[in-house]
Amino acid sequence: MNRPTRIAACAAAALALVLSSPAARAAGPGMSRPEQLQFPRLDYTPPEAENYRVSLRGGMVAYLVPDRALPLVTITVLMRIGPDLDPLGKQGLAQGTMYLLTRSGTAGRTAAQLEDRVAFLGAQLQSQMGGGGGGFGGPGIPVGPSESFASINLLSKDLDEGLGILTDCLKSAAFEEDRVTLARQQLLQTMQQRNDDSGDIESREWGILINGEGHWSNRYATRASVEAITREDMVAFLRRYLGPKNMLLAVSGDFDRAAMIQKLEKVFASWPTPGERPGPPAGPAEPTAAGWFLVDKDVNQGRVSIGLRALDRYDPDFFPGLLMNDVLGGGGFSSRLVNRIRSDEGLAYSVRSSLDAGAYYPGPWRTAFQSKVRSVAYATSIAFEEIRKIREAPVTDEELELAKSRRIEGLPAFFETAGAIANVLAVDELTGRYARDPSYYATYRDRVRAVSVADVQRAARRLLDPAKMTVLMVGNAADMLQGDPKYPVRLTTLAGGEPKRLPLRDPMTMKPIANP
Amino acid sequence: MPSIPSRPGPAACGSIAAVLALACVAAPCTAKTRAPIAPPGSRPSGPPLEEHVLSNGMKLVLIPRHLSPTIAGCWVARVGSANERPGITGISHLFEHMMFKGTHTIGTRDYGQDERLIEEQERVRGEMRAETSRMRAAQRRGEIDDLMKPENKTARYRELEATFDSLVAAQRANMVKNEFNQILQKNGATFINAFTNEDMTVYFETLPANKLELWFWLESDRLENRVFREFYSERDVVFEERRLRTESTPTGKFEESFDAVFWDASPYAWPVVGWPSDVANITKAQADEYYGTYYAPQNLTALLVGDFDPKVALAMAEKYLGSIPAGTRPVPEMITSEPRQLAEKRFYGEAETNPAVTIRWHTVAFVHRDAPALEVLQAVLDGPSGRLQRHIVLGSGVATSGSANSDTRKYEGLFEVTAEARDGHTPEEVEQAIDREIDRLKQEPLPAEELQSVKNRYLANSYRSLSSNFRLVVRYAVSEGRGDLHRLDQIAAEVQRITAEDVRRVADRYLTKENRAVAIWTRKAGAGSEDPAIADFPPQAQPMIRSTIARIQQTSDPAQLREMMTRMDERSAQLPPEMKPAMDYLRAKLQERLGQLSTSDK
Repeated sequence: MNRPTRIAACAAAALALVLSSPAARAAGPGMSRPEQLQFPRLDYTPPEAENYRVSLRGGMVAYLVPDRALPLVTITVLMRIGPDLDPLGKQGLAQGTMYLLTRSGTAGRTAAQLEDRVAFLGAQLQSQMGGGGGGFGGPGIPVGPSESFASINLLSKDLDEGLGILTDCLKSAAFEEDRVTLARQQLLQTMQQRNDDSGDIESREWGILINGEGHWSNRYATRASVEAITREDMVAFLRRYLGPKNMLLAVSGDFDRAAMIQKLEKVFASWPTPGERPGPPAGPAEPTAAGWFLVDKDVNQGRVSIGLRALDRYDPDFFPGLLMNDVLGGGGFSSRLVNRIRSDEGLAYSVRSSLDAGAYYPGPWRTAFQSKVRSVAYATSIAFEEIRKIREAPVTDEELELAKSRRIEGLPAFFETAGAIANVLAVDELTGRYARDPSYYATYRDRVRAVSVADVQRAARRLLDPAKMTVLMVGNAADMLQGDPKYPVRLTTLAGGEPKRLPLRDPMTMKPIANP
Repeated sequence: MPSIPSRPGPAACGSIAAVLALACVAAPCTAKTRAPIAPPGSRPSGPPLEEHVLSNGMKLVLIPRHLSPTIAGCWVARVGSANERPGITGISHLFEHMMFKGTHTIGTRDYGQDERLIEEQERVRGEMRAETSRMRAAQRRGEIDDLMKPENKTARYRELEATFDSLVAAQRANMVKNEFNQILQKNGATFINAFTNEDMTVYFETLPANKLELWFWLESDRLENRVFREFYSERDVVFEERRLRTESTPTGKFEESFDAVFWDASPYAWPVVGWPSDVANITKAQADEYYGTYYAPQNLTALLVGDFDPKVALAMAEKYLGSIPAGTRPVPEMITSEPRQLAEKRFYGEAETNPAVTIRWHTVAFVHRDAPALEVLQAVLDGPSGRLQRHIVLGSGVATSGSANSDTRKYEGLFEVTAEARDGHTPEEVEQAIDREIDRLKQEPLPAEELQSVKNRYLANSYRSLSSNFRLVVRYAVSEGRGDLHRLDQIAAEVQRITAEDVRRVADRYLTKENRAVAIWTRKAGAGSEDPAIADFPPQAQPMIRSTIARIQQTSDPAQLREMMTRMDERSAQLPPEMKPAMDYLRAKLQERLGQLSTSDK
């Protein structure tokens, strides 16, 4: 594949460096440090959309990133389909439709025939609403909760058949009755577990407190809504939203670019429906519920989330905000919250903060950690102490330089594989960044470099107002309130009174089930 | 359903390593190059794999490939929880955490002062341990309940703890916090982490390709000059990790208990994270001893994948890693093996989870000749076209999901099938349905097309495992840790030669009743989704109420529901008075369901 990259110093020079330098590592005082190492220069240019972007006949856009190293190819169809499109009373329609798109047969094949053929080809066929994971080895398909995708990954010798299978599903998903019934039952049984894990409770209540119960992101499927969804609803939903107007392609792997363009133009040329491109999902209309909230769940570790709505990714404070968050809690072991709550005090295993700069509307800043119930109050007090510090005093030059280097030097890893390049660029176009900020990756490092200490403090002061924050705790309430005699902090003191108790919700109706 | 924790797999220290290490003590570094790592039966692709043994006995594996300007590096210590003993369970994992705490140079402004403070801290900790022994004795006498409760700590313990904390504060002023990670991050490293399982401890990160020497510098420094600063606060962090992953999850402690039921003698019986009593009491001296025993170069393998010149990498490896002094004593072999199980074991877990069943059979080690056939057996049962989905989820419809997993570790293996019961069916019914599928595998030969399908999937998955530097380095690290660097490649090749008879034979040999343990999971009364009102009914009525509610919720035909209502009305007159409230409750649930269905119709 054509990657605009080279290591400037040649291997021979590096070898000479190794052989000539004195023992660079030794124990004891006066020893050398890793900073004394000299590295070959690495000239790296991030991928530019124009090198991969193709407008197909008919108007669809595809990102094609060939990579002939392995005999595999991946075709991903991205769509702006999310739960915001669910009609009231049919919550779960978009999710169910996208799940069944590749799992319920097509006009020409039963679901069982389709599964058998996909398995025989050693292919991976999938579709879903929301993000496609990532994990080790790549960013996956980085779509948000209001986008969906369908994809097939298979040996390149089977490319034509694979492309046919994927487009068959998109054009004529059959929604066979037994698959619909099974998916409905699986969803209902998954819903039954909504109160089993304290993490699920925290995640749900956090969303409701931040965006308001009426926001689409908090309209949960219920038993009634799931049972109200019919096969016809799914067919109509697809007919309305699925078509070239609402599809974008990310293709990577072992193929010839020109030949792939021909194939794509052929299969996407005639489509049964044009597809409707929905507008951007609406932002929250209700204000965030600021204050202190507590859900009683009998587990010995309390889960704590603190945060508030912050900014979107086009905000002038986007880059200062990113770096501010890196210093505070987003930079792993180089961040203050991790150093204080985890390393110094041993109060939590996982401590982090994130700035979820929204693609469509301001997303939240949030710090979250988990600590034994008796030390929740103390750990929370440290979090607020650090929030106050980053507002009141400038970060050090060293902290800011570290945060910048981490982002600048880490960029090549972000685009390590052809699949990562295709997915990231295509999702950027789907979610609007390509149109609004086409040079985002080309200028990324310069914009990071340009952030000053004063910028970081301005962002902290603007974004992290403790008085406007929401604090949510889930765990054994009595123990969390009791605290630990070793630490002179109580939740009631921090919160200025008893935190408001939130009831658990009936998992099948989402209505409160008990008085807290 | 109970989520069974996925464990990357077990470790190694096998005879190959020992032989290579011995050969290199006297001889200079040797190297051999293998053929490309392409999966079998396909066109060649992928770069060559080089194996070397450094002059101190440490193994080195190099896989150059120039797809992106990055490298993924890792090293495997062939030690995991299987090498522990009661009293120090969890030490391998705690050790993994401690390896990020710095060295004589990294993480401190003055190592001499650091050493003095650590020594003083250890002295205080010794006194605290003596006090903990007294508290433990009080607990045995029933005078206190939980040792972790702040109120149960003695006055003397609290006094010592305050002294200890002041020493930590003094040390902190001299420390550069998390400097190891910071240097890596500053240089563009990602995936800076490590994992521990039963058989291995693996440390890894990815870096821009021009930072190759930094990787060698930092890794060799922490291997030779590690300092266990912040030992006790990190031990607390590990305990929080235990709470997070095990104690606060719906089924974590149950799964731990099921492991202990499944293994009789094998050290796989205890959790990788360790028992709570042990994690809370591991000492720095024990960790030092563990390091001396298991982190000698001859028990380590370094692996590098990515954009580098192998000649340069080898020279750097010899300079940095090869100069670490070789260990002076042999690494002890783990010799405890699992005796043959004589009778089926059964485990009943009432937890905050949907009803489900897990069946687990003893099988074989990773390097065993039957491992490839067990892989095929897994693939036949698992996945969207697998038999569990086809026959127990879609066919008989007793389950909503089913999965199979062959988990072959370094010393022993297991084969596991797990499935969640569909509402209205019991885990026991699901168990019987799984048994029927297993019997079919033993009695009917696998159709040729089904077998070929499995082989095709395996081939494609072998390619997928090569798709990034990081996946590749972890793949070989795990194979090495389980006992043989090349075993995963060999299994991929052997799978292509497996016959239907091989699959029938391993099913027949290993999936027997006396060789298994069965976990039956049911929802704990009053937990989660259940209406708390059910707990107020007489205990003997509660199972009937739950099964009737499940039947009501399963039924979507209003006519059937009305028929149920009529039957209830007819029978309620015959019920004893104390059961009347239960009948009224069920009637209300029926009405509620009818109401839901009429809303859905609209």
